[in-house]
Amino acid sequence: MTAPRPYALLAELTYQCPLHCPYCSNPTRARNDHELTTNDWKRVIHEAAALGVLQIGFSGGEPLARRDLTDLIRAAREEKLYSNLITSGIGLDDDRVCVLRDAGLDSIQLSFQSDNTDLADEIAGARAHQRKLDAAVKIRAAGIPLSLNFVIHRRNIDRLPQMIELTEMLGAERVELANVQFYGWAFLNRAALLPTREQVVRAREIATAAKARLAGTIDIFYVLPDYYETRPKPCLNGWGQHYLTVNPIGDVLPCPTASSAIPDLRFENARAHTLDWIWRESESFNRFRGTEWMPEPCQSCPQREIDFGGCRCQAALLTGNAANTDPVCTLSSNRALVDAVLNDINSSSEHARDWTYRTNPKNVLVHHS
Amino acid sequence: MASVTIPDAARPCLAKRVRLQSDSMTGKSVLLFPEGIVELNETAHEILSRCDGRTFSEIVHTLAEEYDADPTPLAADVRETLADLHQRKLIELR
Repeated sequence: MTAPRPYALLAELTYQCPLHCPYCSNPTRARNDHELTTNDWKRVIHEAAALGVLQIGFSGGEPLARRDLTDLIRAAREEKLYSNLITSGIGLDDDRVCVLRDAGLDSIQLSFQSDNTDLADEIAGARAHQRKLDAAVKIRAAGIPLSLNFVIHRRNIDRLPQMIELTEMLGAERVELANVQFYGWAFLNRAALLPTREQVVRAREIATAAKARLAGTIDIFYVLPDYYETRPKPCLNGWGQHYLTVNPIGDVLPCPTASSAIPDLRFENARAHTLDWIWRESESFNRFRGTEWMPEPCQSCPQREIDFGGCRCQAALLTGNAANTDPVCTLSSNRALVDAVLNDINSSSEHARDWTYRTNPKNVLVHHS
Repeated sequence: MASVTIPDAARPCLAKRVRLQSDSMTGKSVLLFPEGIVELNETAHEILSRCDGRTFSEIVHTLAEEYDADPTPLAADVRETLADLHQRKLIELR
């Protein structure tokens, strides 16, 4: 199959993170013992640009935990890539924000857990909120375009209006109000995170009204809670079509959650192969490319080039087979799996409150004496 | 959403978060911004590459001279293109 051209690379530099958000999409059992070196990443960036990539997102974990971030931003700039730093803001002091800007960083996406300090710190499992507020001010002072990201779930969804107010107050140009998607730690903590139908309906109204009110000032991007939808999200705009991810240990993935959600697919490593070969030739990138792999009801569905059968990771996590139709789709024979989860949360007033905080992977250190 | 009419005296320029560059794979101009990429057609490229502090009227005047075009319909086209870009927050008016 002819491979299309990728436009964006997500560079997950490390799984280390000072926060412990229970909705993190990182793998719950991540290895972090052989992070790519600075030179490995420079090669990856060069190869991505040669493949046609125009944008790079530096993410993690917390990308600021990598001391070579400045070098990597500079390398991306040299390849004319547009760079976006996806960060918690922890570790972004005055000096560093200016150094990153001068290296060519184009924009920053800063995460928030809530507008309320106590709740935000409880969700993050760390005293982080005040430091994020400080980071936002520094980013603005440095003149770097700022967007905010709130992951929305049952514990904070009722504070949407206050989150939007905070966005206005901090002078951000854009805000993502992203309902949690259930992968990684979020999948593990689903019972404590899934909002009720009533909450979801209200949140949508609030987001829609704010969008109209702030049009032309702040761009509000509302990510739907897909379990409550009737058709699946057009995940990645198709597998292996526009995006690729390189994770901290160098595995090259069609999407960041694929390596943990789809264990039976073998993913190639950037240390062993070129990005070009992996993108065009590897089994993992070709497995769900296009429409030929699709089962029914996708294969004959008029929506098949609109939603691409939904999300492969979600199909794998919920049905055990990544090649199934995303069970969010009401045409899927597995939709009952999603409905059962929704029934659990909506039929009882006794909701699970406890979640498991994300922990950092343990580094395997080998000492030679 | 109703789009803003671009006044003659407005000075359109790229929004701060937007970068205009040439795509080495296609030779075409693209706008890059955090959440997306817009490939420009030739008209949009010709307009945007003149959004350097000049007023709307000056941009139309320059284009009309360079392309030996009637300024009245040209102004309408340029206004429409810029209004679309403005609505998408890809340009600002100064």
